[in-house]
Amino acid sequence: MGPDGTTAIGTSKMIITGKPVNRRDFIKQAAAGTAAASLFSKRALASQKTLRILKWEHFLPDYDHWFEGAVHDWGAAHDTRIVLDKVPVEKIGAAAWAEVKSGRGHDVCIFPWPPAEYYQHTIDHTAIYAEVAQKYGAIPQLAYRSTFNLKNRRHFAFADFWMPSPLHFYQDYWGKVGMPLGPVHYGALRSGGRKLRDQFGIPSGLAFSSTLEGNITLHTMLYARRAWLLDGHGGVLFDKNMFAFEALKYLEALYKESGTPEQLTWGSAGNVHAMLARKTSSTTNAISLLRMAEKQEPQVAAKMLLQPPPLGTAGMGITALPHVTNCSVVWSFARNPDGASQLLANLVDLSKAGYEKSLGCNFPIYPKTVPDLIVRLSKDATADPSYKYVELKDALHWTPNLGVPGFATPAYMEIFNSSLVPRMVQSVLRGEHEAKDAAAIAATEMQRIVDKWERV
Amino acid sequence: MNRIHKGTSLYLTAVALIGLPLLAASGSAAAQTTATSNPATNFNPPPCDYSDQFYQDNGLDPTQVVGRFGTARRTGPPATGSQVNWVADSTCATNDPVRRNFRILATTGGFSDNGTTAPNQFISILGFVTNQNAFESAYTRKVGGSTVSITNSDNPRGEAMQDIVSNFEAYAMVKQRLPNGVFATNPCNADMQSPLAPPTPCFELNTVNAVFTPNLRQDWRFASNRNAMDGSDNNCISDDTTVCAGISDSPYGYFCDDLLGMWILTYVWYTVDPANPGPTCAPVLQDLANRNGISLDGSPIIITSTDTNDDLEGNGCGAEGQLAVDGSDGGAVWLVCPAIPDPRNGAIAKDAFLDSVHLPNGKPQNPKLTQNFLSLQKTGQFPNGGDGS
Repeated sequence: MGPDGTTAIGTSKMIITGKPVNRRDFIKQAAAGTAAASLFSKRALASQKTLRILKWEHFLPDYDHWFEGAVHDWGAAHDTRIVLDKVPVEKIGAAAWAEVKSGRGHDVCIFPWPPAEYYQHTIDHTAIYAEVAQKYGAIPQLAYRSTFNLKNRRHFAFADFWMPSPLHFYQDYWGKVGMPLGPVHYGALRSGGRKLRDQFGIPSGLAFSSTLEGNITLHTMLYARRAWLLDGHGGVLFDKNMFAFEALKYLEALYKESGTPEQLTWGSAGNVHAMLARKTSSTTNAISLLRMAEKQEPQVAAKMLLQPPPLGTAGMGITALPHVTNCSVVWSFARNPDGASQLLANLVDLSKAGYEKSLGCNFPIYPKTVPDLIVRLSKDATADPSYKYVELKDALHWTPNLGVPGFATPAYMEIFNSSLVPRMVQSVLRGEHEAKDAAAIAATEMQRIVDKWERV
Repeated sequence: MNRIHKGTSLYLTAVALIGLPLLAASGSAAAQTTATSNPATNFNPPPCDYSDQFYQDNGLDPTQVVGRFGTARRTGPPATGSQVNWVADSTCATNDPVRRNFRILATTGGFSDNGTTAPNQFISILGFVTNQNAFESAYTRKVGGSTVSITNSDNPRGEAMQDIVSNFEAYAMVKQRLPNGVFATNPCNADMQSPLAPPTPCFELNTVNAVFTPNLRQDWRFASNRNAMDGSDNNCISDDTTVCAGISDSPYGYFCDDLLGMWILTYVWYTVDPANPGPTCAPVLQDLANRNGISLDGSPIIITSTDTNDDLEGNGCGAEGQLAVDGSDGGAVWLVCPAIPDPRNGAIAKDAFLDSVHLPNGKPQNPKLTQNFLSLQKTGQFPNGGDGS
């Protein structure tokens, strides 16, 4: 633990006081070093409340800069000292577990997915939803199914924004194989991907690694091919029909014919970097990928198009899981639960600004906060052409919650966070297991996880 | 299908109010038109091909529509004997200015995918699209003070026609029994093949002829995720998810977004020989056969999405897939086959004929479909005033 009671796990940390600090004082404070600054803070702000926040690092740093300022302003208005720590997305889980284990740490922890496994260690967030409902309406389905625990009938978290996962593809590449409009279904993704690699040496760029990107991509591909992990009641469905085997065989063919070994080993955002370098032809991701391209190399961005996810099979239609479901929890051991709850409710008021500062990555959970969303998608100031992002206009229709067809249960989220699906797929793609065996092994592990949570 | 009928009530009302004077005024001049003896019960004009301009306005190059009715396929499947698939009809563009003057006689019947198993769907297969390049990348037309445009394949709302139509699936069940009597358990297109069955022997899907009626083992099945623009089919048309909770919320409306009535073709096939299905699939196929009957191949007829997804695919007895969108497979990737919004009250003309699968003895495979068609043609109503289910 740090001197101020926070854990020093982040790559960045900032302490923001609720009192106005002029620029000269701020610079002096910074120059004097952390210890002196801490002493200064303790003397001057002894009467203030403190609110400690731990959050995942957004894909776009500028958004986090804005967020820091926003919570600073909130702290100033509520006479609260804000401590904000950020950790890379791949470390948020470990950081949260460390706090739960020790029973102390931050008041609020913000996850990029539903933190269902922590439901015993959080307050009931129903009151926050109730407060927000007075301004923005009842809880939307995506939030409800992502943050409600059916066992204790409580909301274990509060969701305020999400990110769709469209397909990003280079129009010039796909045009070379007769598909300038992109691969509209998974069959086309395979056949076009094969031609692109065979004829031009450009592999597919879907993430299959044990990362957020790999997890979302593979959970989506299984779901879109009806290879559901759990049924609507939380029981294991995987490998109890032929969809799991077929989906794994499809992935195997896709990888062998159009992939690259790097897909299995990419670290966080590896698929993004490969696309930005034009080393791959397509990937699924939040639109932070396209936004980065627009910022770094507009001429590259102009060649990159978006498309709704490919048409699934077995009646699944067009569907993709959310790249991010931004869920905040107030720990049951929080020292300032009231302030934490108030902050979360108030953050919804900033959904419109959050949408703008995230360059459209953060879709609001509450549609009323950005009522002109489709207009904004239609006329984007940065996009070339300006209506490029309108492909997302129906994203809410094709985005179900993690855990679908059920809720985001502790078991499902443990399956997700343990990267069971990417590990299963990798074992097939590396030739370590036949598809049938890999599915059976994964199903056994899923059953163990489900059984464990049923005993809790 | 109840949903469609309810959903089109406003449409029909509008047609009745607007179309009646037009029909009355043009009655004497329309000597070669449909037999519309009683305008009070015959106010719903039968289907015609779209005009070139309408194709272009909606993002499709009409010159790349393969086998387009009004230009090609006047005779031959689905027409038989002396039948013709379409006739010249000068009232088409009068009744509906987005149509050209070729009226479609070949009326393809099929099953709704909504679980009712009702053989009450009627469509007009105007043509086939075999290549993504048929979707326009750029198009502009001035209309008064406005411009109809396709830019970078997107309409002014930023939507590509390809993306819209891919929301609507038509399921083709092509014959799998080869001329030598062998039952092929996979298509020949390598990218489509199921891992559940050997790659050969295989059945061909490399021309649009593969989905001509003589090559089908059973009648069509159409996805029922269509919505009415007035919401009367219970599809939610609000962007507010709290309003739409628990309600069907198809992102696009077939009758309001997919104005060409296009579908993406999903081929469904058995991965086991029905004569020797094995211990897992034998009870599945038996159950299907008991419920739905037997197709021309000897395989059970597939009617609902549950039949396809849960029974066949879920048990590893069948598979589905689509052809490559670059046209490399050669067959039909999309259909231009608008569903008739409401087949009652004149939409089935007196000279139209039902395109459906027939048994070797010449009898229809699905007599109920024929009954529905004939009743609509004769009375303008489904049998007994029902909905054809």
